[in-house]
Amino acid sequence: MESRKIYNRIAILRKEKSLTRNELADKVGVNFQTIGYLEREEYNPSLDLAFRISEVFELPVDLIFSTEPLTPLSQLLTKK
Amino acid sequence: MEMRKSIQNRRTGVVITLLSLFCFVLIFEYCKITQWNVFFIVTEIVLFIIFSASFMATFIKTGLWVFIHKPLSKLDEREITVTSRSLRYAYIVFTVTTLLLLLSFAVINTPIDIVLVVSLILYAHILPAVNIAWTEKEI
Repeated sequence: MESRKIYNRIAILRKEKSLTRNELADKVGVNFQTIGYLEREEYNPSLDLAFRISEVFELPVDLIFSTEPLTPLSQLLTKK
Repeated sequence: MEMRKSIQNRRTGVVITLLSLFCFVLIFEYCKITQWNVFFIVTEIVLFIIFSASFMATFIKTGLWVFIHKPLSKLDEREITVTSRSLRYAYIVFTVTTLLLLLSFAVINTPIDIVLVVSLILYAHILPAVNIAWTEKEI
């Protein structure tokens, strides 16, 4: 089965939290290179990893990951 | 997995490593049928040095060799996917190569030498790392 591309906001959220890739990787228990792959949307995380990332950012999973291209959070806030 | 080299450098290293191994076996088999002379002995030594140097640069110094031999418990989910894919690819390529090679030797009715066997084992062992070196992007 061809898996769908999963879009995410990891890069922007990580920068917002002033975390390095290494720090985020340590928090979620993966190699820092995997964070790079996730940020470039070249790897779809497992459900477990997605939940661990959402716990670090204290945000719901669907706000970080989507099967549709994500609009910037600032644009969402402006629309509201 | 620490792959500091660019993908082009890694691919060049892979080509040099495999080509030097192939030429080493080819010359050995050729000399077995014909006769050894100084030129071929020197060429074999040079090829061995080239193989060793490119192997060190492409697989050892980049950390690929360590990565491919890590236990699953020390890999994250993406790394497990990468190693699994590379092992599957290596299995297919090695099976096809070995079958064709054995068939060729059977057709020309030539006994298989220990150098060829050792080279095939080495080839099988480096194939997963070759796949990763060839496909994985710069990190």
